Amino acid sequence: MQEEKEAVISVEDVGMQFRIPLENQESLKDYLIGFLKGKQKFRVLKALDHISFQVRKGEVMGVIGTNGSGKSTLLKLVAGALVPTSGRVVADFDKVHLLTLGTGFDRELTARENVYLNGAILGYSREYISRKYEEIVRFAELSGFMDQKIKNFSSGMVLRLGFAIATARETPEILILDEVLSVGDLFFKEKSGRRIREMIHSGATVLIVSHSTATILQNCTRAVWIEKGVQQMVGEPAEVCRAYLEFGRRRSKDG
Amino acid sequence: MKSIKQSVFVVRELVSREIKRKYSRSHLGILWSVLNPLLYMAVLSLIFSAVFRKSIENYPVYYLTGFLLWNFFTLATNGAMTSLVDNKPLLLQMKLPRLIFPTARVLSALVNFCYSLAAYLVILLVFRIPIRVSAAAFPVIVVLTVLFSLGIGFGLSILYSFFGDIRYLYGVLLTLWMYLSALFYPVEILPEGVKSLIRWNPMYSYISGARDCILYGRMPDGGTWFSMILWGVGIFALGWWIFRKGQTKIVEKL
Repeated sequence: MQEEKEAVISVEDVGMQFRIPLENQESLKDYLIGFLKGKQKFRVLKALDHISFQVRKGEVMGVIGTNGSGKSTLLKLVAGALVPTSGRVVADFDKVHLLTLGTGFDRELTARENVYLNGAILGYSREYISRKYEEIVRFAELSGFMDQKIKNFSSGMVLRLGFAIATARETPEILILDEVLSVGDLFFKEKSGRRIREMIHSGATVLIVSHSTATILQNCTRAVWIEKGVQQMVGEPAEVCRAYLEFGRRRSKDG
Repeated sequence: MKSIKQSVFVVRELVSREIKRKYSRSHLGILWSVLNPLLYMAVLSLIFSAVFRKSIENYPVYYLTGFLLWNFFTLATNGAMTSLVDNKPLLLQMKLPRLIFPTARVLSALVNFCYSLAAYLVILLVFRIPIRVSAAAFPVIVVLTVLFSLGIGFGLSILYSFFGDIRYLYGVLLTLWMYLSALFYPVEILPEGVKSLIRWNPMYSYISGARDCILYGRMPDGGTWFSMILWGVGIFALGWWIFRKGQTKIVEKL
């Protein structure tokens, strides 16, 4: 018997459908024509269908599946950015933090200005950013570059800065990771990987989305496998990964 | 409480980014916010002041008063319209209300407007137009124009997330709207039918209100106040409502 702790994320029979316009209906004219004809040509894409699982406090839950299986959609639902078409997601969305990197950097601004802008959007207060500023610069190994515009940076430098800002927070209670386990060159990869592992094992509740079984096996206490929007299995990471690999082998044999 | 403080911080960061961005490739920088209206004024005065010499006193001031408000309105609403699409990657991560993005664009236009006021002051001095008590109404009119622009901006930002074409349609609409706002001609020259149409134009009520309290040194009349307040508050509320309705849908769309 598993020890019953309270569920901090509860995904209850969740379905998510997107209406994809069949023809390119981006324009108002096409929309109006479709509307007047009384039919809009949509294809309904079931991104997720009847997904149910719970994540208990302190658990590290892995979500595995091939590309396009609905993992990212699931993650946006849990983060509260999307609202499901059916079923519901119960979680304290204020405590959920989605870790993504370097999105929203403005290339015309300096690195310093971007730290403040990006930090503000991630929810850090001005005082917090000022306090952590030196640490961010040191971690990103960018001292001496902070007053340059980002557009002059190499992509590796931008990644490092993004990683340093995103992980400068005190570990949130519920952390959602989208394959950003490590970034940058070989040496920075090691450092960033270590920081992520620290966050994962600090007692927070974690949801990791990945298509790599190694990531799931190394870090997770439980796993769920989703394929083409349909939940295949929930359970021990080892079992779930075995089934997933089995499926992959079968598929490559058939294909 | 904490989230309000954080919202203010984010809006300030976004506004300062817009301002820095706007002039990041020019040498004169923010000075353009002052020069630009002056240059427009010079051009329009060159062309039209002879035509309207009899009907409009102090033509350059007449034009500039309208132009400043109009320019604010177009900058604010055009900026707000694309704000959600432009900030797409940030929408997913942010926990604060998404209204922040169009609001920041409108406030950036307001900052630009405030810089332009420096040019306006100089022109008022040059034309020896005294600043009377009625000028106290000017900030109130500006606030109402901001409310009106926020409302339009909220609505447009949602619409634009669904239909990219809105941008071009709105561009054409703005041109028509500008000609119906009596920016550079006296409203008296219009035929009766068009004149009554113009009275329904919210931007015209803001512009004529501003001319009243600055150029003519008198308070705008009751009808103008009524129209300014009703449009400002009404459109703000409508835009807010559309935004609330639409914002859960846009993440799917983007």
